[in-house]
Amino acid sequence: MATTATEICAPDRRARRGSLLRRRLFDLVGWGSSALALLLLGGAMLWILGVVFLRGLSALSPTILTHVTEGYGGGLLNAIEGTAVLALGGVLLAAVPGLAAGIYLAEFDAGRLAPFIRFLADVLVGVPSIVIGYFGYVTLVVDLGWKFSVAAGSLALAIISLPYICRTTEMALRQVPRALRESAYALGAGDARVVLGICLPAALPGILTGILLALAISVGETAPLLYTAGWSNYLWTGHLTNEPIGYLTYAIWAFITEPFSSAHALAYAAALLVTLFVLIISILSRTILEGWRRRSPWERPAL
Amino acid sequence: MNFRRFTALVGSIVGVALIVMVAFLGIYAWPAIRFNGWHFLTQNNWNLGNLYANPITIRGQQILPAAHYGILFLIAGTLLSTAIAISLAVPVGVGAAIFLAEGTPPMLRSWVSLFVELLAAIPSVVYGLWGYVVVIPFLSHRVYPWMAKYLGFIPFLGGHTGSGYGLLTCGLVLTLMIVPLITATLRDALVSQGASRREAAVALGASRFETVWTVLLPEVRRVLIGSSILATGRALGETMAVLMISGNAVNYLPHNIYAPISTMASFIVSQLDSALTDPTGMAVRALAEVALALCLISILVNGLARVLLYYQDRHSAGV
Amino acid sequence: MKRLKSITVGVLTAVIAVLAVAGKGAMSSASPLPTPPADINILETGSSLLYPLFQLWIPYYTKANPGVRITPQSTGSGTGIAQAVAGIVQIGASDAYMSDVLVRQHPLLNIPLCISMQMVNYNLPGLNRQHLKLSGPVLAGIYQGQIRYWDDAAIKGLNPGVALPHHLIIPVHRTDGSGDTFIFTQYLSFSTPAWANSVSYGTTVSWPPVSGGLGAEGNPGMVTAIQDNPYSIAYIGTSFENAIEKAGLGLALLKNRNGNFVLPSAKTAEAAAAQMVPKTPPDERISLIFAPGADSYPIINYEYALVSRQQPSAEMAAALRKFFTWAISPRGGNAPHFMKAVHFVPLPAPVVKLSAAQIAQIH
Repeated sequence: MATTATEICAPDRRARRGSLLRRRLFDLVGWGSSALALLLLGGAMLWILGVVFLRGLSALSPTILTHVTEGYGGGLLNAIEGTAVLALGGVLLAAVPGLAAGIYLAEFDAGRLAPFIRFLADVLVGVPSIVIGYFGYVTLVVDLGWKFSVAAGSLALAIISLPYICRTTEMALRQVPRALRESAYALGAGDARVVLGICLPAALPGILTGILLALAISVGETAPLLYTAGWSNYLWTGHLTNEPIGYLTYAIWAFITEPFSSAHALAYAAALLVTLFVLIISILSRTILEGWRRRSPWERPAL
Repeated sequence: MNFRRFTALVGSIVGVALIVMVAFLGIYAWPAIRFNGWHFLTQNNWNLGNLYANPITIRGQQILPAAHYGILFLIAGTLLSTAIAISLAVPVGVGAAIFLAEGTPPMLRSWVSLFVELLAAIPSVVYGLWGYVVVIPFLSHRVYPWMAKYLGFIPFLGGHTGSGYGLLTCGLVLTLMIVPLITATLRDALVSQGASRREAAVALGASRFETVWTVLLPEVRRVLIGSSILATGRALGETMAVLMISGNAVNYLPHNIYAPISTMASFIVSQLDSALTDPTGMAVRALAEVALALCLISILVNGLARVLLYYQDRHSAGV
Repeated sequence: MKRLKSITVGVLTAVIAVLAVAGKGAMSSASPLPTPPADINILETGSSLLYPLFQLWIPYYTKANPGVRITPQSTGSGTGIAQAVAGIVQIGASDAYMSDVLVRQHPLLNIPLCISMQMVNYNLPGLNRQHLKLSGPVLAGIYQGQIRYWDDAAIKGLNPGVALPHHLIIPVHRTDGSGDTFIFTQYLSFSTPAWANSVSYGTTVSWPPVSGGLGAEGNPGMVTAIQDNPYSIAYIGTSFENAIEKAGLGLALLKNRNGNFVLPSAKTAEAAAAQMVPKTPPDERISLIFAPGADSYPIINYEYALVSRQQPSAEMAAALRKFFTWAISPRGGNAPHFMKAVHFVPLPAPVVKLSAAQIAQIH
């Protein structure tokens, strides 16, 4: 009994068998190559993580976590502290403008300003971080006289993180159903109360994801910091300008090319710490998002 | 001031930051732009000039003798490495997305895709470290000699395989960095395709793979193109990984696929300090011109992607 | 809902408070956090040739002088010059003195701290234990791409009887702004008119593209580059001679102005210095390259510390003066055990006087 398209359309048994064979082959090749693609990616991922973790773990020692850098050896305490200061500084600086922009784009999207800001934010995402670093060097470090400093480094990181926080805030706020807003307005609440009191709390997981993303990006950046934060072998003394600061990604870049094994150990350990931190944040933000999606009784987020 | 205006004001910092940056770069690089003209883009001669000689005046600008700023090799390096990366990333990305969307059981799906997406989260400098430490020795000792020997008849694939630092190595590492961008977006798009199209295809007798290939993929074509362009944008701006594995070629074009290159982004990092020793300041402005060119290329590419994706958003029927 | 509102208000207040304090801190450059008693923080960046010596000096000096912190960085002389000029660091270390134009624009002091040398190293399997004879014109030919193979007639002519392989030469040069490039290209310029007229010298030059040529960053990068690439040749500072020996790489005999082939050593460096010291002007900006003398090594140079005459505070000026005075003293930084460790040579007495005179100008 002819049931499939092949069987209906093919005139005779041999033709049917031939084209069936071709289709099976196509299927095999198709699934095979897509499986291969996934395996390639998975394999590469395992290779990178393997190198970073194995060499990083063997290089990690209590000294590295408790001492500051001395020349080609010593530890990474100054770099760890520096990364924390710079990343938190960058996120703090970017949080308010980013949130404000996201709120404006999601809630008050009438007229031409909102699409314009959205376009500019999308463009800013694509600007290479070295361009931002170069800009920071010429204006903040040299022209304004801040020299290598926490201020310059954090500001550069903030500019990089701004569009991410803006976009994720906007997307998170758009998931909040209109009914919630309308009922709040109907009860007489003003703009501020509706947004800050109702919508933000409802969209908090999504917003948090954006902040975590900005944190991860800030921890992993190197090029802009090379020309804004400089490098220091010492712990931060609290000065925001006129004093450089260390950061883990510098250790990775500068020490791996030195022909000294103590330098290599620092580089691997720094790579391990940075990668670990970034991976934990990515998994954390994914978990938050998944939990939010599953728990919310509203429509499934589209993108 | 009401809340609306407040958020608009504070929020527009995002836009102001970008505009200020591009405007500043343009103004700062203007003397260099006027001095270099179009030769900037068409010539292969980046020369800071005789740093220890007295400046001379050419075309109204003070520069060092023999100073010349032509970045054709940078444009070539940037475009070629990105071209290799995107031409490898699209097939791999599409294949992986198909397998993730259709071939993995839903329970495993989010874990496996998380694993793949983490590739995008790894910082560029860690990719550079991995490339420098393991990939380059592996490629230069095992893979490239084999390639040059057996595939050498293909143009650009034969000849001297060099030390492993070069165009193909950059292309391969860049591929890894941008594939997750394509895979993640495409997988989401495939998964969110409605059931009715799928069921129609199966009813006509298509196998699972045929459904994907002939029905679902064409639907998400625009998403594929949009995300590929976004991935291209990311590859164009990659700095640290390229800096560590590209070989930092200056003033020559790669003669085969294994030859060293330089990209615009990595060039800025490696040359800024040298440029600062130019007392006339023209070298720094020429670097600002490189930064501006890079910025404009990225803006163009990303703008294109956004337009396509935005159009897809508005256009898709979402059955 | 009320609790959420108060939490949000609290968080926003905290953020604004932190920003306000931070802003105030940024304006006055005072620290918002409690600080330990004020340490003098000296930043040094630059020459990768001088860096190993700084790393030996600093632990010794800071132990004897608590209250002073010195952060060194090996970034290349180009960066040393650039950041000293921009005022970002207190000490810019450079193997190259500043150019006339630059010094007129930014009148920094160029203070020699010691005398260093540069080697020409190569990686020739089987031949690394022998010292090959090379000259300025031959090296210029190699780096211009005119001499492509190791068994070229020019190299063979200098090394009769040596079984040179027929293999492409891989010349390695520095990609960063480098004092080593400066002194190497000066050697090439002074000995080879063709090079002087085309490429000339500088911390950055337009290297003629040679197929297979490599770029490396920093002296350590050069060591790694020739280690990883057989048949390569590079110019590396003598502070890395231990690394070169450990890696089993070759060291060349260079032809000096008198036509003799010499190795870098304390004796040959002192011979060259003796010729050039009387010619050193008060601002100490002079090249010691290609000095006359039968035993002179052709590539020696003063290691400069680039410092501003005007310092922002009297304490910083005093700390710098104290450090430099210790550094140039034959019982302090120029002591034999420091110099031998990096294969440098101490400053001759007349130069010590000149440097001291410059140091006194820091205020």
